[in-house]
Amino acid sequence: MKNNQKNNKGTAAADGVRNQSPSKLLLLSHFICGIGIVLSFWLAINVFSISLIKNPVETLRLLWLIEVPVVILIYSFFRKDKNQSSYLKAVARGLLGLPVGAVVNALGAIALGAPVGSRYFLRTLNWSLLMSAFTFVPAASVYGSSWVDWHRIFAHTKPIGFIDYMICIPAYGAVIGGWFGAWPMPLDWERPWQEWPICVTYGALIGYFIGMLASFSFVVHVSRQHKNWKIIIYVCTWS
Amino acid sequence: MGRWRVVLFSLLLVHCVAILVFTSGFLLTRTELPYYSHCSDVLSHSPCDHNPNQNQNLSCWTKPAVDRIVIIVLDALRFDFVAPSTFFPEKKPWMDKLQVLHKLASQSSSAARIFKALADPPTTSLQRLKGLTTGGLPTFIDIGNSFGAPAIIEDNLIHQLVQNGKRIVMMGDDTWTQLFPGHFNKSYPYPSFNVKDLDTVDNGCITHLIPTLYADDWDVLIAHFLGMDHAGHIFGVDSVQMIDKLEQYNEQLEKVVEVLQSQSGKGGAHENTLLLVMGDHGQTVNGDHGGGSPEEVETSIFAMSLKKPPFPVPSEFDTSSCNLDLDGRKVCISSIEQLDFAATVSALLGIPFPFGSIGRVNPMLYALVAGTWNLDSHDMSSSQNQLKMEEWMHNYAKVLCANSWQVKKYVDAYTESSVIGFSIDDLKHVQEMYSQAVNWSTNSLHDDGSSFNALKKQIDLYSNFLTSVAELSRTKFTEFDLRKMGIGFGILLTSIILHLLVIKRVDEMYIVDSPSRIKTVSFGLVVSCFIVAARACSFLSNSYILEEGKMTGFLLASIAMLSLRHSIMAKNMISEAASLVFLICILRFTIELGLSKQSSPEVSEFHSWMCVADLLPILPLIILAYLLYKSIFSSSCNRLLKLVITGSIFSYILVALHFTLGSSSLSYMTPSIFDGIRGNFIPRAIYIIGIAQLLSLVVFQFFEEEKTSKWEETMLMKTVAMLSVWSSTLIILSGKQGPWVALASVIGGWLISRLKALDQDYKNCSTGLLARYSSPVTQWSLLASCLFFCTGHWCAFDGLRYAAAFIGFDEFTIIPQAILLTIETYGFSHIFPTLGLPFLVFAYGDSSDKGKGKREIQLFHAYLIYGLIMAVTSTFTVLCVMIQRRHLMVWGLFAPKYVFDVVGLVLTDVLICASSLMYFGS
Repeated sequence: MKNNQKNNKGTAAADGVRNQSPSKLLLLSHFICGIGIVLSFWLAINVFSISLIKNPVETLRLLWLIEVPVVILIYSFFRKDKNQSSYLKAVARGLLGLPVGAVVNALGAIALGAPVGSRYFLRTLNWSLLMSAFTFVPAASVYGSSWVDWHRIFAHTKPIGFIDYMICIPAYGAVIGGWFGAWPMPLDWERPWQEWPICVTYGALIGYFIGMLASFSFVVHVSRQHKNWKIIIYVCTWS
Repeated sequence: MGRWRVVLFSLLLVHCVAILVFTSGFLLTRTELPYYSHCSDVLSHSPCDHNPNQNQNLSCWTKPAVDRIVIIVLDALRFDFVAPSTFFPEKKPWMDKLQVLHKLASQSSSAARIFKALADPPTTSLQRLKGLTTGGLPTFIDIGNSFGAPAIIEDNLIHQLVQNGKRIVMMGDDTWTQLFPGHFNKSYPYPSFNVKDLDTVDNGCITHLIPTLYADDWDVLIAHFLGMDHAGHIFGVDSVQMIDKLEQYNEQLEKVVEVLQSQSGKGGAHENTLLLVMGDHGQTVNGDHGGGSPEEVETSIFAMSLKKPPFPVPSEFDTSSCNLDLDGRKVCISSIEQLDFAATVSALLGIPFPFGSIGRVNPMLYALVAGTWNLDSHDMSSSQNQLKMEEWMHNYAKVLCANSWQVKKYVDAYTESSVIGFSIDDLKHVQEMYSQAVNWSTNSLHDDGSSFNALKKQIDLYSNFLTSVAELSRTKFTEFDLRKMGIGFGILLTSIILHLLVIKRVDEMYIVDSPSRIKTVSFGLVVSCFIVAARACSFLSNSYILEEGKMTGFLLASIAMLSLRHSIMAKNMISEAASLVFLICILRFTIELGLSKQSSPEVSEFHSWMCVADLLPILPLIILAYLLYKSIFSSSCNRLLKLVITGSIFSYILVALHFTLGSSSLSYMTPSIFDGIRGNFIPRAIYIIGIAQLLSLVVFQFFEEEKTSKWEETMLMKTVAMLSVWSSTLIILSGKQGPWVALASVIGGWLISRLKALDQDYKNCSTGLLARYSSPVTQWSLLASCLFFCTGHWCAFDGLRYAAAFIGFDEFTIIPQAILLTIETYGFSHIFPTLGLPFLVFAYGDSSDKGKGKREIQLFHAYLIYGLIMAVTSTFTVLCVMIQRRHLMVWGLFAPKYVFDVVGLVLTDVLICASSLMYFGS
């Protein structure tokens, strides 16, 4: 399956969104996002010879530095109001969403008990930037400042159409994964990965991958049920 | 209403029964007896033949064998630190470091010997020191323990030493001065609480040890080195620090032995001195101790008598195993129970055995020293040797006779006066063994032909008796009763099932009454079930119990964030939800502050901010008083209630005055008129006002006329009055943090009751009670346990703030102090939330559901859910201690947690019953 997608890689970006079937588009963009993470891990280990456990700050920085452009560039293709805003504007919105999302994520983590102090500042900063790339940046690129859409996705969790699924489910996956990832932290195993934010990052990554998988299978499932997907895109599928 | 009260009271009863049954199986208790042994006891009562005209002024129960004793305690001394590595299958890096002991033990010219000493769990320093000095088996809770101070009030070795005119010098671990205040002629205590400090105590010991050895103003010297215990806790046994410590001790011991030997000649200061180097307990390779694993209970005693020449130990009693060490020297190792330590040392010094001692005078240790008192010539023929041997055995039999008599006396006294004594069958058996031994002695010992075999038989009989008593006590004091624990847990589990059934039943009752379509399951219910289950399951691991404060904060923050999301979704009360999250964030930091106090009890003070910090707590007091004022101003309820609340406002003023007068930086500014009311006056006035307010609330309850129109408002005011009554006492007990925590709990409670209306379904009453109230009540109870940790408590007995018990009192009286301590400990986490629960139900209530009957059923249901959450968490704690009863940290962590949770559960049940009397109509 992965090999198939590699062949499509070149064509997808250049062609518009509309000509592709939604499930293929979704798979492709998820795949590229996933590749971005895998690539940054590969770079971390083989080029910079750092690892998440030993050098959490550097590795997290590398992760978001690679993941943020990938996410922004991909999701800007799916921007909502294509007639009014250009691709570049969507990119700019994504870049703007990055720090905002980071602040929200960092505040959430601190409320839940993330350690604070100068020792942890860089870790929390880099971690929250990465989390922002998973949660806020795609939504910012696609919806901009449309409060209605944000509200629909993150508060009501009532996604409409495949773009909503594509943004919403992986973001939830990353947050829930991170929440569960915090559970081993107090255990007295005294492993280096129990430090903040290593296991939370692992949890978030696993959650993110599961979320991508889930959103893909969900879209495939729905598009099989309803042959005529184009209508479904604009119809509420969630009661 | 009557039926409901029956339900609540029966739940309280079932919980109490379950906890009592479980506790009797789990928390082994022992009653401390207030009796003391005296020298004169033996003359009048013992069956042993005692020659009154022989050395009357010198000997007491036994003939003294040594004049002076040097006891060097090395904390957490593992057996393999002392014994040569050849005794073990594998040589480890920490073995063979105390070479001086090997050398001395192998030399035939010195009377030195290594013993493997077996400790009894709990292997914590305090319990072990108590066990070593009393000769008993201290349990986790010894009934009669003095409150707060750990001083030993049972008869003990140190007490006997002082009574019999021995002078004691102590140096090292300050636990000794806490255990035996005022017993030492001279003491050099050093603080032991800082585990990270490996050297302070040891260096203090080293400075004083050698000079003291040259002095002659003492009879017993105790030096307690702590570094090894701390090194184990921090770095583990297999660490450089541990090896360094061992090498340091080796060096010090060499010096000590050198000094002692240099003065051991005839007429020297240490002519007849015994040196004991011993551990109080062992440790695991990780440095833990407390449990009963072989590594922890196996420690060591090294004994060396400086009297020359040494006496050969009779082979009949020689139980030692010998082995060559790495240098090819023959080292023999005997075995001793730590239980026997007190009796043996008493016998050697010739003082009465401690009253509660159940140990036996150890033959090897006794022979090592006491064999030699009238041997002048070393060259003995074999017949002479035989004669000497018989004389020694005769002596030993006499010592054992006194020993057995004392132990029997203790067993009888214990059975008479303790709460739970020994069983009748066991007592009978022990009685038989004792009479057999004593009868034998009256038959044979008075015969002149007391031969070798007769003596041996005699000694065996006494030994058998003493061993069986020790064994009996061990099963009584150190073994869990699994059957009782199982029954207790079973009852608790059944009560939870019943609880659930009652909740279901009430829910159905409510649904039947209401006309519209009803949902019985909601998102909030699922989430709160998950959160409560997660919290309960987390108690199965020691790590989560240690970090319970953070855990609770995490769960509370999660649930608050969900409600924030909910409020954003509903586009309603976003600011309230956000401030709840913010409040929890603040609580989270205070919890961490509280946890940091746990590791170091000293709280750093900001000196430059002293003045401001002293006055700052008055600000929240003013806010609280204003809130109360507003509440009475805006409502039109009964005058008596208003009076009660005004009383609280007056109390707040007194509290503010107390804080101002109490602060050191402001004391010079306060006018001298207040001098008269400094100290105890204000706290006592506040307690009295509180009691008067409570009484008037009770009176109000009796004379309240039923007014259905204002019923809801009256209930709300009653709750506010109730809370305000408790708050003033609670604030003054909690000290400076009190007003802040009170304000935080008020704000938290208000926010939660506001946010409960978020649910769309709540407003139009289309859900069942369980679906509606589960989420707010869960938040309520999580907030309550967060407040427990915020106020600087944690589930351990050193987490109790004993100072709070003495606010308003100077001297110690058990009942008021215990009540104050309970209020301080459980105030914000149990008393406040339970009594304030009606606030959650009635404040910001919906308009459609106004009937009094319906509101009461809601309140009852909320109380049921709250009780269920407490019961579930406590049940998991019970399950946890049952599973982990053999865990290392069972006495350090699980048992305190159990005690705290169980007391909290019973207290909550009692308070729920009290509130049912208070809030439900008749």
